[in-house]
Amino acid sequence: MHEVSIVSDMLNIVYENVQLHNMKSINKIVIKVGEFTCINESSLRFAYECLCKNTICENVKLEIKKIKASAYCNNCRKIFNISYTNRVCPICNKFSKNVVTGDELTVDSIEGEQK
Amino acid sequence: MKSIVIEKNILKNNNEIASKIRSALNDKGIYTINMIGSPGSGKTSVLEQIIKHINRKFNIAVIEGDLYTTKDAERIENQGINVVQLNTEGACHLDANMIEQALDCIDINNADLLVIENVGNLVCPASYDLSEDSKILVMSVTEGHDKPLKYPSMFQKAEVLILNKIDLVRYTNFDIGDFYKDVKSLNEHIHIFEISCTSGKGVQKLCDYLEGQIMSKGVNR
Ligand SMILES: Nc1nc2c(ncn2[C@@H]2O[C@H](COP(=O)(O)OP(=O)(O)O)[C@@H](O)[C@H]2O)c(=O)[nH]1
Ligand SMILES: [Mg+2]
Ligand SMILES: [Zn+2]
Repeated sequence: MHEVSIVSDMLNIVYENVQLHNMKSINKIVIKVGEFTCINESSLRFAYECLCKNTICENVKLEIKKIKASAYCNNCRKIFNISYTNRVCPICNKFSKNVVTGDELTVDSIEGEQK
Repeated sequence: MKSIVIEKNILKNNNEIASKIRSALNDKGIYTINMIGSPGSGKTSVLEQIIKHINRKFNIAVIEGDLYTTKDAERIENQGINVVQLNTEGACHLDANMIEQALDCIDINNADLLVIENVGNLVCPASYDLSEDSKILVMSVTEGHDKPLKYPSMFQKAEVLILNKIDLVRYTNFDIGDFYKDVKSLNEHIHIFEISCTSGKGVQKLCDYLEGQIMSKGVNR
């Protein structure tokens, strides 16, 4: 539900980097979104379309890398996929508190032409 | 064509403002609570109970987050508390930037406890650090015992869980045993308090706990 604020913070990071790296245009933004961030993809895309009207990002492709949630089992020394309600290691059946991935929310990279 | 690697956390801006506020609150020794829960779970009622119990011993300041109205802030003000209203105008959560602005409008120099009542929502506020010492999740028995597994991120991040409206439990099919089991599976260390704001049951125990937290924070002053 907070996709609009997320997109607006994301665009600020993009604009900062456009300036910093002297870009004259961009054609792709890549972000990482973890499974546990409660971000809805279609709301995110809708917010993105609205917020980048008349900016350097208008019509720029937004690539969303979805990151599956995983945890580490201390017993088996293995990383396994988890869901919110199931964090039990498939090998030894022990609950793991060590969430390794799933909380990501980052601007990964942008692609474009420099001046 | 050039690819530029950024790898920046989108919430970094919020987190930076929050840590700035946090160090100011730490210097002043103010214990800060971020109160989260669904609309109607009883956040304002719990806050009123806390105020009633500890107002004589501690100075309390309150930031009331609300979508559009000032109703909750008025309830708090009626108890003679220093309160500032934040209207998010539809935004589903408070962020650190709003807290920074609110703190400009309120004198916290003498405060021992700062309570921020977040916007009624079990999802979005979980992601935003407001510089609190503790996230307190208020949930009521009428919401059903399946909520921890349905809204796990909030239950994972809270230090304290208040199970409110315990006076109504006998009218519901709320299963306390299942509830504890599920909550503990998400967050082993969470402190759970069963209370009723109408009968006052459990409020003293909750306030004893909070007083302990406020005092140990105040020592650093
Ligand atoms: N029966 C009962 N009702 C309560 C209790 N606590 C709050 N309420 C009622 O629940 C409603 C919502 O409370 P409020 O504090 O405004 O919830 P908020 O939206 O989370 O701030 C109000 O009508 C309260 O009177 C309780 O412990 N027992
Ligand atoms: Mg309220
Ligand atoms: Zn294992």
